[in-house]
Amino acid sequence: MAFTYENGYTVFDGVNVSTHEDELVAIVGPSGVGKSTLLRILGGFIRPTRGEVRLLGKKVFRPIPEIALIHQSIVTFPWMTALENVMLSLKPKRVPKEEAEKVARKMLELVGLQGFEELYPKEMSGGMRQRIAIARALAADPLILLMDEPFSHLDELTAEGLRHELYSMLFNQDITLKSVVLVSHSLNEVLELADLIYVLNGHPASVVGTLRVDMERPRNPRDPRFLEYLDLLYKYLTPIKGKRFE
Amino acid sequence: MNDYLLIVLATLATASRVLGLIGLSIVTGWFLGYAAIKDRVFENFYVSMIEVLESVPVVTFFPIVLIFFVEDVGGKLGVELAADFLIFTAVVWNIWMGIYQAYKTVPKEMVEVIENYRLGFLGKLINCYIPSSMPRIAANLFPSAADGFFYITVSEVFSIGTTSFSAFGIGSVIQELISARDFQLVHFALAVMGVMIVGLTLALRELSQLVVARYTLDTDVPIRRRGRLRLRYSARLSAVMSRAPLTRLSVYLRRQRVYTSKEVIPMPVEEDRGRGRTLRYIRRGIAAVILAAIVYGVFRTVEGVGLSTWSTLFLSTPSIFLDTAYDYLRVVVITAVSLAIASTVGYYVAVNPKVEKILIPLIQILSSYPAPLYFPLLFFYSYAGVSSVFGAYTAEFYVLLLGFLSTFYYVFFSFWMGVKSLPQEYWELMKNVGMNFPQRMRYVILPSVFPYLIAGLSSTVNSTWGGLMIGEYWPDIYDGRNLYVTHGLMGLLASFTSRGEIPEVAWGSLVFAVIVVLFSIFFTRRMMDLARTKYVAEEGIYAA
Repeated sequence: MAFTYENGYTVFDGVNVSTHEDELVAIVGPSGVGKSTLLRILGGFIRPTRGEVRLLGKKVFRPIPEIALIHQSIVTFPWMTALENVMLSLKPKRVPKEEAEKVARKMLELVGLQGFEELYPKEMSGGMRQRIAIARALAADPLILLMDEPFSHLDELTAEGLRHELYSMLFNQDITLKSVVLVSHSLNEVLELADLIYVLNGHPASVVGTLRVDMERPRNPRDPRFLEYLDLLYKYLTPIKGKRFE
Repeated sequence: MNDYLLIVLATLATASRVLGLIGLSIVTGWFLGYAAIKDRVFENFYVSMIEVLESVPVVTFFPIVLIFFVEDVGGKLGVELAADFLIFTAVVWNIWMGIYQAYKTVPKEMVEVIENYRLGFLGKLINCYIPSSMPRIAANLFPSAADGFFYITVSEVFSIGTTSFSAFGIGSVIQELISARDFQLVHFALAVMGVMIVGLTLALRELSQLVVARYTLDTDVPIRRRGRLRLRYSARLSAVMSRAPLTRLSVYLRRQRVYTSKEVIPMPVEEDRGRGRTLRYIRRGIAAVILAAIVYGVFRTVEGVGLSTWSTLFLSTPSIFLDTAYDYLRVVVITAVSLAIASTVGYYVAVNPKVEKILIPLIQILSSYPAPLYFPLLFFYSYAGVSSVFGAYTAEFYVLLLGFLSTFYYVFFSFWMGVKSLPQEYWELMKNVGMNFPQRMRYVILPSVFPYLIAGLSSTVNSTWGGLMIGEYWPDIYDGRNLYVTHGLMGLLASFTSRGEIPEVAWGSLVFAVIVVLFSIFFTRRMMDLARTKYVAEEGIYAA
């Protein structure tokens, strides 16, 4: 895929990414490399200048509930309670109210917000609001979850707590989710979470390296293997011109 | 004098009157706003006064004021002052409140800097407070100018009893031309007015653009230093210029603590204390003078009325209530129709940039063109068709139409601005979960737009009532025809005024003003509080 802005600037070219069942894929790269744009292309929010997006072989032309996006700025609706926020994603499916409420409660429980259903987002911390956003996305029964730097607006402790829980939250037998694509510029974060990492770099950007992380979860950032992976990622992000790593 | 030249001069006179009074509102607002943030007593009085007077339609106190100016001041000056007063009260509240709110939301750090350098009163105003108020003033220029122009026909020509008074301007000239049946010149006058409105709208757009770029904190609009008027550019950025100040304000209100003078102003050093005390006396003196003027007005009205008149007035009160109920019903119908159109057309325009680029400037120009000016022509050309459809309800239709033309644009712009301010993330989410139009409206758009609509509706009430007042009693609207309706307080007040029945006018105005203020306290303000506490869409986006 390639994407060129209206002003003629090509932000990335020749990018090819794929994800499979039970896989958390991360896309990393420096600022301005087009990570968020790529994520929106994968979600059908933007059309690529060249190339296409396919979900289970079918072309994706527009945003669909099967591919849910979690924003970098945490999005909730202040006039709805946590429960109503989650139920929102079931409205288009015309799920009966009782059933929708049941699903929403289950999702809130899954993300650790049991007991907070009737609170409004304003009464919650940033971490709790992001949990609402995740629960809302999961309630729509997505196959793919796209996460655009989901922890960047949280303090380090909250982000760490949420990261620890994220994998078990998402890859859970109770939900339909098959795969997650995460965009981040935090190398520790992606190493902690991802099975496969795509590294974007250059002008226009391309995939300068892919890294399969073969480590047991939970991953310890002090583990020597973790540090080895980290060194590799740093190497990918400061590449020698023209050289490609695999 | 050549008729065509006279029309051009009259148009310029009207424009100067409206713009001059907007200028006066801004300058007085700068000083009064500063006095308000520096003195609790004055602040309480100032804010309460604006809130009450803002919610009372201009037309209710106009008859009383009109009599004061015409009888007590007298002559051409009295008539001119009466016209100026009406326009001033139509434009001033928005601007004063806007400036006050801007002063209250100046970032704490900025205030600390100017306090640190110990700038004097003018230094603080010029370097900090006035620049901070510019975006809010820019946002208020359009509605204020449109409000001012709306009243030109009423303010420039009015009659008390059998005597008719007129101040020079396009409103009075057009009335004269209609009476003289000189339709060719009427059309010319409307065209000149149209040119003036287009020119003024474009100039205000350009000005707002410059102001937003230069004075809005943290704006993404590039600063422009010199250069030609870029009409296309300014038209394209119409959304930014009118929206940014509001959006920014909501952001500031959310993220920055509103300071109070006590919190951030350091204790004065010994030699400053005497001066501070003098200034405080001056501020409280201003409040006392305004209050005294209001009390004097009430006293004069009360003392001039005999006992038998009082009993007649009390007996007429139930019918005033009934007529007010009719008018409220009209307001509800007009608002509902305006909302229905705004929420469909406004949505379509907001999500279609190409349509928006053409339609918004067009609607902005149309909204500034005062409906009472072209309404007689509209009446004339449509009367035959409308009366054949509506029969006995023809007059009612026209009254509602004039009310609609006076209201719709504000509702439309409020809705459109609300939709444009919707966070991008909400749009993506709505697409993502696959919401259809009714679902988008119900769960996301209408709640997000609610604060804009409520703010818009509360500030349009003046124009709606003004439209009803003009429409419900309009003798010789065109070609010898009259426009009257049998029920409606606005029409009743207008007919009392034209017959010179002053106590009835005063009593009707007072009863209506009380109803309006109560409505404002128990409904509008509650709605605004609800909008502020629950429906601020920006609060749904959490970004550290």
